[in-house]
Amino acid sequence: MRGQWLRAIGNRLRHNLTTRLIILLVLALMVITGINDYTRLVHEREQLVAQTQKDERIFAETLALAVRYNLRRGRTTEELEGLLEEIVARPGLAAVVIYNPDAGVVARTLASGTEAPTPDDLVRRSLTQREAVSAMADSPSGRILRYVQPFRWPGGRTAAIEVQQTLREMENQFRRAVRTTIISRLLVLGLFVLSIVVLTRWSIARPIRALVAAARAVGHGDLGQRIAVPRQDEIGELAAEFNRMAENLQTANAELVRQAEERLRLEQEVQQTQKLATVGMLAAEVAHEIGTPLNVISGRAEVLDRVVPRDHPDRRNLDVILSQAERIKGIIRSLLDYTRPRRPTLRPEPILPIIGRVASLLMERSQRRGVRLHLEMPIGLPSVMADPEHLQQVFLNLVLNALDATEKGGAVRITAGPDPELPSEGRGSILRGKADTATLAVHVIDEGKGLSAEELNHAFEPFFSTKGRGQGTGLGLPIAEEIVRAHRGEIEMLSIQGRGTEVIVRIPVADGEPLAPQPAKEEVSKDGR
Amino acid sequence: MAKQRRSILVVDDDAEMRALLLDVLRNEGYDVVEAKDGTEAVLALRARAFDLILMDKNMPGPSGLDLLPGFRRVCPDSQVILMTAFGDVPSYIEAVEKGAAEYLFKPFRMEELRAAIAKALHIDAQSRP
Repeated sequence: MRGQWLRAIGNRLRHNLTTRLIILLVLALMVITGINDYTRLVHEREQLVAQTQKDERIFAETLALAVRYNLRRGRTTEELEGLLEEIVARPGLAAVVIYNPDAGVVARTLASGTEAPTPDDLVRRSLTQREAVSAMADSPSGRILRYVQPFRWPGGRTAAIEVQQTLREMENQFRRAVRTTIISRLLVLGLFVLSIVVLTRWSIARPIRALVAAARAVGHGDLGQRIAVPRQDEIGELAAEFNRMAENLQTANAELVRQAEERLRLEQEVQQTQKLATVGMLAAEVAHEIGTPLNVISGRAEVLDRVVPRDHPDRRNLDVILSQAERIKGIIRSLLDYTRPRRPTLRPEPILPIIGRVASLLMERSQRRGVRLHLEMPIGLPSVMADPEHLQQVFLNLVLNALDATEKGGAVRITAGPDPELPSEGRGSILRGKADTATLAVHVIDEGKGLSAEELNHAFEPFFSTKGRGQGTGLGLPIAEEIVRAHRGEIEMLSIQGRGTEVIVRIPVADGEPLAPQPAKEEVSKDGR
Repeated sequence: MAKQRRSILVVDDDAEMRALLLDVLRNEGYDVVEAKDGTEAVLALRARAFDLILMDKNMPGPSGLDLLPGFRRVCPDSQVILMTAFGDVPSYIEAVEKGAAEYLFKPFRMEELRAAIAKALHIDAQSRP
């Protein structure tokens, strides 16, 4: 039970800044006031002692004068003792003793419970040196202040009178002073602690706790969290700053989420078009293969249809053949309609955003593969007549191929410019499509193994792939070619074995854009042959 | 028949398809010659002129699209109808640009074939003095 309680306090100390601060503050305050009080009390005590000593001296001197006067008048020692009896009623006085010049006790009076003093070195010293001496002494009834005052004995010799004063009264007074000091100090400290606790709780701990709660909520993703700021001080500033930070975080996060969603949407779109394009390619292939035999079947049936009379017993067979052939035709047609990418809607489009989207889509993939992806597009390129989504598919396929072909540590570059980047020496090439207007050429250059002349010749055929089995569909380039052709552009593949491959896509520039000079146009057509 | 023995060259690598087209067109009264690829077609065109060339796009060797510009140059009076698989839109555009009179997507109905031929030859007949 107590262990738990102690542990709870320990935890509070470890984890609660306010508590720790308060305890430190109180400890420091205690030490400072303690030292101050201690020195003050010590000083007070010294003063009390000095005061007592002074009182005692005056008393002793007066007494010595009185005794001398009485002795000169010839009083006996009994009479002197009577005088002393009266005096000893003085509070705190322990004993008064009169010594003759031979240090013999002439008269004495003692407070009750006080031991009778005897002439000792202190008395003798006073007698011989003829001067007053004082000393502290311990007695069973507490500390005693002794004072020996010499005086002239009748006959000219020196006698002495000793006054012993107990310090009990002073000690009591001192103890009372200590007690009141401690009590008042504790009271002040308690009040101080209480006010500090209340103050910190109200002005620091509470707002800080609110801040902590809000920060925790923000940390857990609740970015809408805000703190009410009714104050102008540093905590208010902190809260305002926090709110601003949360606000910024919220907008940044919203932007990130928006970007991620946009990316996802784009990626899904690309995947979908790619899938559709793949299926479309297959369907086209099937349609092509089936088209001719189906045409023969339906054609022959149509021939029969013209000669077989309506009421012929086998008429039904013919009708079934005709309708089923139509049905197959319908299936192929709807399959193609569904899967074929719709005709591109060509409009003037800047090329940079299209390439940029492709690059941003594939940046992560390239980083994963350890291949650098460089976008080196000059600014101020003319717009092209394009369907951005379709063209994006083209460059996506090309850059994907380039990334797959390039080994780790290599680079894939996307540039624009009229001339091929690969040198003509040892370069094989294949051109598909033909552009007969001015074009903008975009190059995708990899640092792969390159393709042989044989591989180049087959590069644009469906289902031809140089990638490992199961890696490529073999449809990336045919799809790219089809889209480029639909844009009335051309696609050229250049390759040097052991150095890399460059694919150049030439898309007609938008109407109103400056046409390329005539020689460049001829060069294009020369390449095309 | 009202038609005065118009001549047609059928170029297709598929024997059955050729046979069907021959049967149908001969039945229509046309003078039909067949060729199984580009080479045979060129040989046939060297031997005589045709009013119409009905040619498949996809063939081993030079395709119908490859042959088209040459045919248009050598015998500009011959109309050309190209046949290809359904949905091959880019080929259609290219064929029209290269001067094909008509275009048929396989599989097509015999009525469509008749209509396309009639249209091609009619246009031709009108343009002639």
